[in-house]
Amino acid sequence: MPNWNRLQTNSFLECSARDRAVGLVDEGSFVELGGPFDRLVSPHLVALGEAVENDDGIVTGVGRIGARPVFVISQEGRFIGGSVGEVGGAKMVGIIDMAIDFNDRLVAEFPDLPPSARPLVAISFETGGVRLHEANAGLLAHAEVMDALQRARHKVPVVALIGSRIGCFGGMGFVAAATDAIVMSEFGRLGLTGPEVIEQEMGKDEFDASNRALVYRTTGGRHKYVMGDANFLVDDTVAAFRAQLADLCALPVSSFEAMRRIGSPELVEKQLRGVALAAELKPSDARDVWRHAGNNDPVGLADGPLADFRKSVRRLAL
Amino acid sequence: METLLGQGRAAIDLIVDAGSFTEGTVGARTFDDPDFGPGAVVGTASLEGETVTVIASDAEAFNEKFPVVYSGIIGLEEGYKMAQAVYATLAADAEKAAASKRPIVLIVDTPGNGPGKVEEIFGMNKATGAYQLALAEARLAGHPIVAMVVGRAISGAFLCHGLQADRILSLTSEFQTMIHVMPITSVSRIIKKDVELLEALAKSNPVFAAGPAFFFKLGGVERLVETIDGMRPAIAAQIADIRKAKADKAATALTGPRGRGALGAERGGRTVRPKVQELLRSEFAAVEERFRPRAN
Repeated sequence: MPNWNRLQTNSFLECSARDRAVGLVDEGSFVELGGPFDRLVSPHLVALGEAVENDDGIVTGVGRIGARPVFVISQEGRFIGGSVGEVGGAKMVGIIDMAIDFNDRLVAEFPDLPPSARPLVAISFETGGVRLHEANAGLLAHAEVMDALQRARHKVPVVALIGSRIGCFGGMGFVAAATDAIVMSEFGRLGLTGPEVIEQEMGKDEFDASNRALVYRTTGGRHKYVMGDANFLVDDTVAAFRAQLADLCALPVSSFEAMRRIGSPELVEKQLRGVALAAELKPSDARDVWRHAGNNDPVGLADGPLADFRKSVRRLAL
Repeated sequence: METLLGQGRAAIDLIVDAGSFTEGTVGARTFDDPDFGPGAVVGTASLEGETVTVIASDAEAFNEKFPVVYSGIIGLEEGYKMAQAVYATLAADAEKAAASKRPIVLIVDTPGNGPGKVEEIFGMNKATGAYQLALAEARLAGHPIVAMVVGRAISGAFLCHGLQADRILSLTSEFQTMIHVMPITSVSRIIKKDVELLEALAKSNPVFAAGPAFFFKLGGVERLVETIDGMRPAIAAQIADIRKAKADKAATALTGPRGRGALGAERGGRTVRPKVQELLRSEFAAVEERFRPRAN
């Protein structure tokens, strides 16, 4: 087990999936479920003669923050880009299902159980989505995760944490969007079509994937915070992500509805006001939207320290 | 052999009762702006006499405002428009009992979600996610949802428009239907394995190969339909069957994504998934006591 106290000051960006899982919950509380000793390897990678991981690149388990049982899913980008196949997808769905089931049983048994003692799910994303080596199974698993998120609605809050190397793209980009609350660091990236794919499909004029600044301007934490897609923008330490998660652990599930970006007819109408704005502004760069939101010096704002950014940024009102 | 690829509108007419499709009206909601989400066709029809919501893609349409949307691509407006149609369906039957809520028929022929800079700046992930959540909500509320693949059902666009259905039907590959994340040639390039090897492996393991037959083996498609005329009765039969499955309190026959999970194990295409979940459950049961409310 990694040293919990030392983990707290670590860069979230640099952390392995297991370190994130352990460090996000209270010291010593994390119990890994479906861990490496269970050897849940992908049979499809075996069939292809590829290297496997004994956790299939997704760490799953349960810990506590205060009185709250926190079910954790943490993706490992260093194993095939954090891609999701049959086993990893089954682990994700299994954890969300168990959180819902545990919640239902606890609430039946203790109707007055305070929100801060009811289950919550935290997902630390680091993934490009479907694993191509087992693409069809990965795709079907994504649909199951979306179904599980809808089943969790109004019962178990699901929090997305995004601040790892690979970002959160492909099908997992909409899985993250479908959670209740999103916590990002400025190094986190969130989107559907990754930069390389846009360049490949639409050409370098549409998107130059080698331009790192452009990539971060379009999908990075600061931009997603301006857009309202990220609810919270935190420093790049395990402690900062953990502190934000702990704050959220105090809230009842009903309070999470107001943090959502999609998942109701009203929210669809709200997002459509954004789409109308996109059609009107025809932004050639995310900075155009920042300016529209009332940030007169988007370049200075983007390059300044995060603390100043959080203090002075104006977020898009839709 | 005939094909319906690229002909979503024609497919609607072949599936629903003759002349019954009213485009742009779902329950109390109307979609009056012809320039809004033109790649998405939504409306109401009757299928063997029963009122159904129909959602399809129009491969001929081009979205002037969002030029990445053509050929049936689901863009920002299209994703949200499809979600609106689902929410309008929910609203229309809000007072009805679960067993009598109207079906939703998804006619699937879409090559992808909008891949563009503006899409990423504003969040294409939200548009496709919004539609999926709406479908999942409608499915869980009792609306029978059937997806009929008549052309392309590709990757994220299939997740968006199809994979949240209770049941999925597909015309066989003779009709040029395509279901995949990526063609096997692209998979081969990216994962650096010979196409010949992949094709040989695909005979015993359908997990990365492209096509409806492989998805059938994985439980990703419930039934293959062999004729165009066969689509309408097959959809109607599924609707009746879904209603039966949902009314069964013991939930012996699951529908939707997890029903297809069970089917994947049954058909031998995805056998590890249930074992993984069973293992997680038993391991949690062993430590559950630690996570129950502490006695004061």
